[in-house]
Amino acid sequence: MLKKTIWYSVFTVAIAGIVVLAGGFYQALKVTTESSPYQPAKVIMAQTSGSSTEAELKNTNSLQLLILGDSIAKGTGDEKGKGFSTDLPQAIKTDTPKDILVTDAGINGLESQGLLAQLQNGSLNKPLAGANFILISIGGNDLRTILSLNPQAQEDEFKIKQDSYLSNLKQVLTILRSSNPNAYIVFLGLYNPYEKTTTEEEVSLWQEWNYNTEQLIESNPKAICIPSDDLMKFNLGKYLAPDGLHPNSAGYLALSDRIRKSLGGVIAGM
Amino acid sequence: MYSLIENEVTKMIAKKRLMFVLAILVILISVFAYGQNRTLARTKAQLTQRMGITATTDWHKLAEQQLIDMKGRLDSPYMDAKSQSSLTVKMQQLQYDLDNNINPLDQSAAKFTATFMEQSIFLFLPLLIVILAADMVSGESSSGTIKLLLVRNIPRWKILLSKYLALIILEVVVIFCAFLLSALISGFFFGFGGWMAPVATGFRVLAGKLDASGVFNVPEWQFSLMVYSLAFFVAVVVGSISFMISVLVKSTAASIGIILATLIAGNFISFFLSDWTLTHYLFMVNLRLTDYLSGAVQPVDGMNMLFSVTVLIVWALVSTIVSFVYFTKKDILV
Repeated sequence: MLKKTIWYSVFTVAIAGIVVLAGGFYQALKVTTESSPYQPAKVIMAQTSGSSTEAELKNTNSLQLLILGDSIAKGTGDEKGKGFSTDLPQAIKTDTPKDILVTDAGINGLESQGLLAQLQNGSLNKPLAGANFILISIGGNDLRTILSLNPQAQEDEFKIKQDSYLSNLKQVLTILRSSNPNAYIVFLGLYNPYEKTTTEEEVSLWQEWNYNTEQLIESNPKAICIPSDDLMKFNLGKYLAPDGLHPNSAGYLALSDRIRKSLGGVIAGM
Repeated sequence: MYSLIENEVTKMIAKKRLMFVLAILVILISVFAYGQNRTLARTKAQLTQRMGITATTDWHKLAEQQLIDMKGRLDSPYMDAKSQSSLTVKMQQLQYDLDNNINPLDQSAAKFTATFMEQSIFLFLPLLIVILAADMVSGESSSGTIKLLLVRNIPRWKILLSKYLALIILEVVVIFCAFLLSALISGFFFGFGGWMAPVATGFRVLAGKLDASGVFNVPEWQFSLMVYSLAFFVAVVVGSISFMISVLVKSTAASIGIILATLIAGNFISFFLSDWTLTHYLFMVNLRLTDYLSGAVQPVDGMNMLFSVTVLIVWALVSTIVSFVYFTKKDILV
């Protein structure tokens, strides 16, 4: 009797199971081979002010700002979703009656190699040629990759990374200068978001990085390197986003304010 | 025919093979679930140490921030179209976690159930099937009971077919039990929910590269269903092959040994000889079907879901044909 019951339950499970599993198998095949049955939610491409630069390329009543680089250039971490592309024009606006047009070409996770490629492929030629100011934030992602290594490997890897970074940055500057000799270039130095956990050696490597960057940037007469570390170091709690890496809204405002002060002299004359 | 199958299944259950397989499942799932639990605790502790207590307990803020950032990235005109769909999928998942108050770090029974089978499909599941299949025929040869089967006035192919169908029934039972046991046991560790959470799927391998442009989310129950269906398919294929070996070889030990060695060698081969095209046609290399589903696949030129499924079907068909031809033709001297 027990044998019969077991057999019937096994048989029922098997028949039902085969039907269900066949359905699932068909689905799995469909999902991995056919073109997607569900279209991903429609992506709305917001028109940023970047597209208007074309029409007003030579408009003398406006100043054009081009923002290049990584997530910080993009404004990642700002809980209000603004970042430099909103905060910086607002800050500059206090010094000039002119309109400020912004093109933000920042890409999260961009390394110096990527920035160079972005400039080389020519998609930024138009905003680049018309820009009065170019804000660059790059290098953080280059440098961050060495953090996970042991001290010995760190030092070797740092040299390699720094060499390629500096050579990329040099080429970036050459491209910028060749298509736009007059724009003011503002380079944002790196701050250390991991203040609590970095070792002494890491701090010195990172200082060396900033120092070499500054030397390279400042060798160009119309370029300036603005440090961010002195602003952030004691204010990490106040200026850092919950992800522990990017600035938050207050951080971006503070940085924008600092950039505005540095540029005050040239903006007034424009 | 029906009574023949019934007879075979009852025999297998009486032989305690099935119980043995289920016991292995219970033990291993418990161990895995416990291990996962430990790993989870350790990851959280590490995160807390690195980013402060807020990262693990007060994750809402971080998730909301990530959502805003991803939205910003989607809106960027410099975002290439390819990464848009994977970003959208990530946003949907994060939004779901936020809406349902699920810490993205946490494990759930549903997640565990799918992961368990994804990890088992290429070695552990085949092993269980081999335990069942390897002595279906050779066991009768070595114990001599095959005489009793054949003296009855039933064609040989019917006897073999009933054995084969009994094996398929047992495979369904194993898959069903694996699902039930891992959902239940992991439920005690991680809570029984998570079946509606979105999982990304829809990856394709195009020209040796993983293409994520068509990615979309399906609920976890549907994902698990697909994973277990693929596992069942793999079980049938491996079952057919070990069935053939069980027909060809008289000793049960030898038949288990042969198929185990093949399976394990297959894992080495896929590791060392991935650029040798001939190895792509081995069945052991094509068992990881679920990787195509979850996008965890190491893209190899020329291999995709359809290729792997076709290769496996051919292996299963050939093995079945060989079993039947050999069994009906051979002289049985006991």
